[in-house]
Amino acid sequence: MMTMLRMRALAVAALALVPATVSAQPYAADVEPLVRSSCIACHGARTVTPLNFEELDFDLTNRETFRKWERVFERVEAGEMPPRGAPRPDPVIAEKALDALRGALVDASLAARGPQRTPLRRLTRLEYAYTVQDLLGIDEDVARDIGQMLPAEADSGGFDTVAANQTLSPLHVRSYLDAADRALDAALQVGPRPATETRRIDYKASEYLHMISTGKFLGAGIVKKLDDAYAAFYDTGSTYTLHSASEGYEVPSPGRYRVTLDAYAYQASTPVTLTVYRGKMAGITASLDDLIGVFDLVDEAGRTITLETFMRPGELIAPSVAELLPPVDAPPPNHFAPDQNVDNWMGEGIALRSLTIEGPLFDTWPPESTRQLLTGVDFDDTGEIRLTKEPYEHVKDIVARFAPLAFRRPLVEGELEAYAGLAMPFLGDGQPFSEAIRVPLRAVLSAPPFLFHAGEAGDLDDFALATRLSYFLWRSMPDAELSDLARGGRLDDPEVLSAQVDRMLDDPKSQRFITDYAGQALRLYEIRQTSPDASLYPEYDDRLGQAMRLETELFLKELVAENLGVDHLVDSDFTFVNRRLAEHYGVEGVTGQYMRRVELPADSPRGGILAQASIHKITANGTTTSPVPRGNYVLANLLGTPAPPPPADVGSLEPDTRGATTIREQLTAHRANPVCASCHRTIDPPGFALESFDPIGGFRTNYRISGGMQQFGDFTVPLPFEEGPPVDSSGVTPSGDRFGGILEYKQFLLDHEVEKVARHFASQLLVFSTGAEIAFADREAVNRIVARLRGEGYPIRSMIHEVVGSGLFRRQ
Amino acid sequence: MTLARPLDRRTFLRASGVALALPWLESMTPALARASATAPRRMLNICNTLGLYSSSWFPTTAGAGYEATEYLSLIDRHRDQYTLFTGFSHQEQTGRQPHNSEITWLTAARRPGLDGFRNSISVDQVAANHLGYVTRFPSLVLGTATPQSQSYTSSGAMVPAESSPASVFKQLFLQGTPEEVERETRSLNAGASILDRLKSQTTALRGRVSSTDQRTLDAYFDAVRTAEQELGEVQAWQKRPKPVVTDEPPEDLPNPADLVGRVKLMYRLIPLILETDSSRVVSLMIQDHGTVLNVPGVSIDQHGLSHHGQDESKIVQLKLIETELVAAFGELLADLRGRTGADGASLLDSTMVLFGSNLGNANAHTASDLPILLAGGGFDHGQHIVHEGEENAPLCNLFVTMLQNMGVETDAFSQSTGALTWS
Repeated sequence: MMTMLRMRALAVAALALVPATVSAQPYAADVEPLVRSSCIACHGARTVTPLNFEELDFDLTNRETFRKWERVFERVEAGEMPPRGAPRPDPVIAEKALDALRGALVDASLAARGPQRTPLRRLTRLEYAYTVQDLLGIDEDVARDIGQMLPAEADSGGFDTVAANQTLSPLHVRSYLDAADRALDAALQVGPRPATETRRIDYKASEYLHMISTGKFLGAGIVKKLDDAYAAFYDTGSTYTLHSASEGYEVPSPGRYRVTLDAYAYQASTPVTLTVYRGKMAGITASLDDLIGVFDLVDEAGRTITLETFMRPGELIAPSVAELLPPVDAPPPNHFAPDQNVDNWMGEGIALRSLTIEGPLFDTWPPESTRQLLTGVDFDDTGEIRLTKEPYEHVKDIVARFAPLAFRRPLVEGELEAYAGLAMPFLGDGQPFSEAIRVPLRAVLSAPPFLFHAGEAGDLDDFALATRLSYFLWRSMPDAELSDLARGGRLDDPEVLSAQVDRMLDDPKSQRFITDYAGQALRLYEIRQTSPDASLYPEYDDRLGQAMRLETELFLKELVAENLGVDHLVDSDFTFVNRRLAEHYGVEGVTGQYMRRVELPADSPRGGILAQASIHKITANGTTTSPVPRGNYVLANLLGTPAPPPPADVGSLEPDTRGATTIREQLTAHRANPVCASCHRTIDPPGFALESFDPIGGFRTNYRISGGMQQFGDFTVPLPFEEGPPVDSSGVTPSGDRFGGILEYKQFLLDHEVEKVARHFASQLLVFSTGAEIAFADREAVNRIVARLRGEGYPIRSMIHEVVGSGLFRRQ
Repeated sequence: MTLARPLDRRTFLRASGVALALPWLESMTPALARASATAPRRMLNICNTLGLYSSSWFPTTAGAGYEATEYLSLIDRHRDQYTLFTGFSHQEQTGRQPHNSEITWLTAARRPGLDGFRNSISVDQVAANHLGYVTRFPSLVLGTATPQSQSYTSSGAMVPAESSPASVFKQLFLQGTPEEVERETRSLNAGASILDRLKSQTTALRGRVSSTDQRTLDAYFDAVRTAEQELGEVQAWQKRPKPVVTDEPPEDLPNPADLVGRVKLMYRLIPLILETDSSRVVSLMIQDHGTVLNVPGVSIDQHGLSHHGQDESKIVQLKLIETELVAAFGELLADLRGRTGADGASLLDSTMVLFGSNLGNANAHTASDLPILLAGGGFDHGQHIVHEGEENAPLCNLFVTMLQNMGVETDAFSQSTGALTWS
């Protein structure tokens, strides 16, 4: 029964709606009946929700107003509003309202956008690095360093490829000049060839190790002398003693180096893992900065390991044994006590015979990058430039080859002279050719046609299409084949375009797409942002972290390669592990540290990205987990239905690792407030399902709680963690479906939400590749892609083809 | 609020002129030192991005006679040189992840990291833009580990932080070798002619793009023009000799576990930067980098400790680290106080030092009730200002006051509702 109060509210509501309905927007007349019959009772003047129809007009040019109506449309269309339990709206009224609202929102969305969907956008910092790598033929590591000279991309919450998320400042311009200078330093190397040197460190002959292993001072005995090698048993051995710097090796100049290690398993009954790091000296120890190789050693015959890496002066190579654990019942070795040190230690170890470093390595001299860049120039025996005609003629030849590549299109009238001419005053000044030529090249690398993705309103021309495709799948400039097709006007042909997509996906450069897309869309770039609490999660280390990231990348790559459906993102019967990650997951029978595909048993909680440790780590803070960020992750990154941001200055949950209150208990209290509950009934359930996974992705049935600390003189040692309260990973979805844990929750998603996953994935691919968000007006195009793939279960490679073939991709 | 020495804008500009010609003499040569009224105004912002344990920082009583807490007792000898603020923060700092508030500490942009977020200009960059190249560096942005900083340009680009004290010292005080100078000159000269050409090339492209894209090209053009002007200033400064200091160049600490040591190195460098008038605007972001710090008694990384989960043994360790950091700050204040000009005024009197954090309760990583301290700058100090009420007061009001103290004619910054005054 309607109270007087309610009736008065309705009357006011009608008044508020009237001016809008009778004036400019006739569609409001079709929306109003629905609002009156089904919405206003709760969303009126006295509402406790953020939506109050009495204050909401129909001015869709206002961004906030647009968003509110968009949300109204979404929730009514999805049947989420009116809420469960409330009477259903009259279907005729509802349909009429939705049609009117859809039309109005599309119109407003198109009007707000203007003639082109994607505004001019610049190369991201990463695209810049990949492009100078490919354009100049310089080393990947150098190019990455150079990219880091540019201002960081804004933390916008969206893809950095999206024009609206990009910043441009005088700081950018100055860094472009500096970065181009460094890139040219790397690409242009003339003069005498640096000597390639080979340094072999024969560990058994090392005086330093002899001193360390036999000395009668603190720290003696952290490595053990053998007949042909030194054995190390735990990390101190490698960070202090076995690296190249402690043997006096210094990197002579930046370049590629070949590293060869000869090592074997010592006293080991199971495979032991040798890891190789590139690092620097940090105080008296080596910092292990970059993990460059992981190898299993299985027996005393050992093996020779070879890898190539870029090195800069000041860096070192550190073989590390960090993963070894002492036997269960043994006290830790005490290298302060001579009779208890490693000489009598029976734990597993790694014996190192030798470390050889060779470099810098060059295939030719001057390097290929220099020869390519300085086209038409000869070099004498000492590697110096020998000109064959007037210097300025050389400059023009070089710029005429380089600039169209850099601009990803033919030069227009006057451009050649404008850039080449920059060298003139410097040539006239008597500067060496190798200096003068840098000026136009540096200008090209700082110029708008290089820095910006071209494209005029309307259909993309062939060059712009080639560029968009290339930056989508390779994150870099088109190669010769793609450019030739663009020049010949062939990319219009759908079969040609489709063949190019396959060729590019099969090319190793597509790894960049996998890495960058997963890095941003799945937030994999954040995986190293927190380091897990070592006392609560002692099993975590760099190697495990690296394997986690690789698992997700390889999984995504496999879905693309095998054209598997998006349902695999939710649940899958395979994943990728190495021995380390397999142990973490409890998957048996995996030896060796290379990542490989393994089939998962049907009852395994693993399978699908929600069960991958990388995602659990990204959504935890290192010490504790909360269902809120995890639930939000599922909504935003998998289903594409992010919860609205929390109200301003909302209270936070206070983590408690003493085991006194669980986060779930705190959330239950939070949800007692109906305003909080309106969002948390959606956010919390997926978060609850993920409660089974700890901050490093281990499967848990109980929380771990801190064991406290113990003081030993000046040293504080964390005590082992203890078992805390049991984990409850059950929940109820907003639709009322109950689940007992992660397996049932995944089944719920498979049964009901796969289309949402597909729509979100297609949308994200479109946003990432075209550099513009999916506006309301673009939804139809996304729906068409989704509809076309429905019958096949939304296979991902096909989805990439559909995206590239879509009007959104082909038009600016 | 009362300014101990109100600033006359005209004399300030005159003083800037002197500084422009002979930047380092002003503070180092007594004969040329000006009366305090013309002394340059300076700003130093220091952020502890993992917060400061609340119970050890905030006094429970307000006013001048507040009782110093565990941390404050470490700097209590400077009590008359600073003011404490409680109940201040920026609104809407809940971002995509809780650490996002560190990118908005000096900007107060709302909802960092969420949904098309774009940062706005930071308070130090407003001051730096106001001063321009009256000093060799309009601002110096410092960090302890990575290039991440809290300083943002007006278009929302982050100014990268310099985390090597040796490199900063070199840029400020060491003349390069003739080859280095020549190389730099050549690069600057080439850069200037490139930028000039890019302007005309951008203009040429303008006619070939849509009106939307013209705006982007115009923004690029403006950025090029500003960069060109800046390059001109840099070229001019390159011709002037760098100030001579007697201090030994610092040696970088390569061990990331030595965060406290790194901070102390920066704290030794900052007074030199200010005293030689190499820059008047300095910001330092103290950042955790996921390592266990080499502070005796500490066995867990700082970030993990900040999420102490009420675990007493973790709180003990957290306090060991923060005690070191606050004590080091006390040494910085002592250093700034100890450097006096001819008029007897200290370097601290001309330098506003903002010290605090973007996190209030670091355990929950919330960005309200921030620990904030303002030292120096010639203000009336010695009090604990407490803003009562359910909602925090805008920290930006303090920023407005600081900008005014810098000579910026403004009464607004970001979320401000006015200037903050106290007496």
